[in-house]
Amino acid sequence: MALLEVKGLVKRFGDRTVLKDIDFSLEEGETKVIMGPSGCGKSTLLRCLNRLIDPDEGQILFRGEDVTRVGTDVRLLRQRIGFVFQQFALYRHLTALENVTLALRKLKGLSGREADEKALLELRRMDMETHRAKYPAQLSGGQKQRIAIARALAMDPAVLFFDEPTSALDPEMSREVVALINRLRFEGVTMLCVTHDVFLARYVTAQVIFMDAGEIRAEDAPERLLSGHHDARIREFFGNSGGSDA
Amino acid sequence: MNFGNILWVLAQGVGQTVLVTLACMLTGLCAGLSVVVLRRLQIRGTAWLLEAYTYVFRAVPVLVLLFIIFFGLPAIGIKVSPLVSMMLSLGLIAGAYLGEVFRGAMESLDPQELVAAEAMGLARGQILVSIELPQMLRLAVPGMLNEFTTVLKYSPFAYTVGIPEITRQATALASTTLRGVEIYLAAGLLYFGIYQLLRAGVRAVEKRFEIPGFGTN
Amino acid sequence: MLELTGFSRELVAYGPQLLEGLWKTLILAGSVSLSGLVGGILVFGLTLSHQPMVRRVTDAWVSFFIGMPLLVLLFLVYYGFPQWGIRLSPFEVAFWGFTLNVSAYNARYLTTAYRSLDAAELEAADAQGFGHWQIFLWIILPQVLRLSVPALTNQVILNLKDSSIAFLIQYTEFFAQVQELAAQNFRFFQAYVMAGLVYLGLVSVIVLAARRLEARVILPGLER
Repeated sequence: MALLEVKGLVKRFGDRTVLKDIDFSLEEGETKVIMGPSGCGKSTLLRCLNRLIDPDEGQILFRGEDVTRVGTDVRLLRQRIGFVFQQFALYRHLTALENVTLALRKLKGLSGREADEKALLELRRMDMETHRAKYPAQLSGGQKQRIAIARALAMDPAVLFFDEPTSALDPEMSREVVALINRLRFEGVTMLCVTHDVFLARYVTAQVIFMDAGEIRAEDAPERLLSGHHDARIREFFGNSGGSDA
Repeated sequence: MNFGNILWVLAQGVGQTVLVTLACMLTGLCAGLSVVVLRRLQIRGTAWLLEAYTYVFRAVPVLVLLFIIFFGLPAIGIKVSPLVSMMLSLGLIAGAYLGEVFRGAMESLDPQELVAAEAMGLARGQILVSIELPQMLRLAVPGMLNEFTTVLKYSPFAYTVGIPEITRQATALASTTLRGVEIYLAAGLLYFGIYQLLRAGVRAVEKRFEIPGFGTN
Repeated sequence: MLELTGFSRELVAYGPQLLEGLWKTLILAGSVSLSGLVGGILVFGLTLSHQPMVRRVTDAWVSFFIGMPLLVLLFLVYYGFPQWGIRLSPFEVAFWGFTLNVSAYNARYLTTAYRSLDAAELEAADAQGFGHWQIFLWIILPQVLRLSVPALTNQVILNLKDSSIAFLIQYTEFFAQVQELAAQNFRFFQAYVMAGLVYLGLVSVIVLAARRLEARVILPGLER
């Protein structure tokens, strides 16, 4: 059984259809990258999957269970999906450590000590343990993104979602984060990553889903999408942004 | 009677002035926080009530509201003590202004952090308590200090309902001596001293909860 | 219901006095709004002086009148000045007391707005060869006044509301007349609530006017 299976997903904003009949699946331990020009609906898709946005039609099966059904415990679903944002979205009034422990204490009901232990483990995994007492404003972009990843991983999620994880970072830091994502991949973490960073897609060598105007146009290995694809839209996308990003 | 004696006599009222100010400010904080929390939780049917409270209590003069409560309510059979009258007039008016201060501070929170909290699976109430209120209160410190000062400066109205605070002592003294200038200057000096103390207190609290790089940009 | 009709009859009977009080309220609030604006601009101008001494004195002046409760200031002049042989009418005391207080506040608002101005713009004016007064008059003031419209109109509302305390120095404005009315028939509650509603109505008029003014004076792209 796939971890995540999406069938015929449709989302409209007013009379604009931003997701048109989306189908794809994600297996346990698999990593997929969703790419496409800005406004193609890839971020909306990600937010539909954890129900930050409610889809209008279609099914989302999470381990076989349709989570679009009325009565689904949305908060429980979200606790099983780690979400990493483009702008990090760390809580500015909490230290790095507190950012990681918040959900452990409030949602998993761990004691302060248990939460600290678990959080320190995740911070160590991200090589951020020494920065645990710092506030977000005292950290660099790359460091913030590592804390954000640690915050998501601490909940032992079934899958990790990334929404443009590198686009707010300078090239050097973005490479660091890409290497980190790659490491998580080899550790067997299931991931779904929305990005327009070709370097990320190529380095992680995951299956790429290419979206345009609310539709999935292709799903393939990155090198096959990059080199003279038969779809003109795909050639155009990688032709324009591929050169500068990679 | 020299200036020092005058100051000493008026100083008898400092405790009551501080009491009135703190009681009214506390009332205002409770009211303002209730307003911002109810508004944030978008409880059905409360929106117009909150707007009405905010509008009316910012439009009616403190003195008029104080008289409605202290002299008006007994006329229809409800007796209210002087201090409670101050809390229900000056305090609730401060609450309406503080509600607006808090609204402004809430609007300057980072929406992405709130989405992140939602994506984490935190409940609405948890987001409010763990993320929104701690950040909002820090951002609202200048506005709160401002309102605190305003409350102090309207606290002399307490003399009209017989609370023996600084201005009451001053009017009593001025009626028996003919030293109005010195007496009211001394009163002004005491208010200024209290203001400095309040400010130092607020700053100390602010410092205690200060977070590097937060609220300064 | 009977009660109310009884009260409304008294209201009509006492109408002329109430209207006279209302007129005095408007006169006081209106005149101190004007004098406070002029005074505020003057004081603000002095805080920009190139002489440190002038700046220091002005800052202390502003702090003093902002720190002093208005009521205490009015009492100081009303009950204190006669000991020097200076006897002012209640209106004069209220007018000067309010003017000093309101101009200090208005000066503060203008200073806050001034801090948000573009320093490069002022440098450019300097470089073009404008004199200090010209820069103040033609560059600083027009922008600062526009930016301060919300704060300045809010001060007008405060002036109207605060004018009610002038009855404590025997100025027979609206609220003083309401006291008279209440004392005559002992219907304190109705009288004071009626007063509250009148202030609510007057404030609403100012709020509406202020919104129109704001929409008019705001420069494209300069709203805060």
